[in-house]
Amino acid sequence: MKIRMNSLLACVPLVAAAPAFAHHSFAAEYDAAKPVTLTGTVTKVEWTNPHARFYINVKNDDGTTTNWNFELASPNYLKRAGWSSASLKQGDVVTVEGSLARSGANMANARAVTLADGHKVFARAATDNGG
Amino acid sequence: MRASRSPYRLCVTLAALCALSFEALAQQTPVAATSPAGSGGASNPALAGQKPKGPAPRLPNGKPDLSGVWVGGGPVGNIKDGLLPGQEIVLLPEAEKLMKGRMAADDPEARCLPTGVPRVAPYPWRVLQTPSYGEPTHLFFLFEGNIHSYRQIFMDGRAHPDDLEPTWYGHSIGHWEGDTLVIETVGFNDRFWFDFVGHPHSTQLKTIERYTRKDAATLENVITIIDPGAYAKPFTVKFNATLRPGWDLMEYICNENNQDVEHIRGPAGL
Repeated sequence: MKIRMNSLLACVPLVAAAPAFAHHSFAAEYDAAKPVTLTGTVTKVEWTNPHARFYINVKNDDGTTTNWNFELASPNYLKRAGWSSASLKQGDVVTVEGSLARSGANMANARAVTLADGHKVFARAATDNGG
Repeated sequence: MRASRSPYRLCVTLAALCALSFEALAQQTPVAATSPAGSGGASNPALAGQKPKGPAPRLPNGKPDLSGVWVGGGPVGNIKDGLLPGQEIVLLPEAEKLMKGRMAADDPEARCLPTGVPRVAPYPWRVLQTPSYGEPTHLFFLFEGNIHSYRQIFMDGRAHPDDLEPTWYGHSIGHWEGDTLVIETVGFNDRFWFDFVGHPHSTQLKTIERYTRKDAATLENVITIIDPGAYAKPFTVKFNATLRPGWDLMEYICNENNQDVEHIRGPAGL
């Protein structure tokens, strides 16, 4: 599994702002002390409330594949920020930075999503106003 | 099903009324224009970043015009954050025990239930007056989220009925004191929380909200919480809402795909 642990320090400002911007407490669902960066292929995009979500297949070191579930902000926030349901498509190869779920599931809150060509989508989506 | 559908029918009616009111608002304050075609009602990018300057606009009857799309105006993370100088929150022992035992996953808002009063969700809401001319008989606060819902405030001078059944938003009556809209609400259930950390209340809760549009972009809400069933004494908090010019309300159906609850861990005070 290609997981790179980022420095905790880099996450602090984002996490400090996060609890006020979702319908649930950010800290209760995600662990800012467990940042994660994953690269994989998008298998599904859910343009749904309370959060938009996308799923990627990540190749593990042992050759198996794990499907990861990433939470974004609400579709309304994303729309107001200029994104749409077509910003990310099935088959896109993306690198996602986020915070792991406390539940231990293959799930994380996406902070930044970067396409293979370097183009960013849903940048800062999960931590800004309207999450 | 009949009972659960009727609020949505009302929402449709309100949406139509809302459009009419918005047109009137746009005439008074040109900055709040309608959305461009194809935006899905998200916002008008050309206007969304502009904060109107100057004093609060006024209606033809001289009262401040509170209409518009706002964000904020109540507690989200912790109601304590809004305490006015000299104010303190003193929980009764039973209420303190209840709060300490609350788990984050049990927050009604995380489960797509209403915020109640005075909590707000981090989503926009619109103030709508009916009729849109003359003296209003009703005000509506239309919420985009946390659930697609509304508060109804009676402005026609009626009193609270004495046979109220407990509800999430209670029974609200409003009147003007100078340039401040005063809303008194009773008849609450005890199910909603004041914030993420789980400040509780009882069915004895009475809220007094004082809304003052301090300037074109700012709506101040000074709230007094009176609840002898949960707090040793009343306390007063203040939160500001800020105008979102160029924004429209959008659809937000919280329980469409709510996966959060099963992954939320730990006490509410985390």
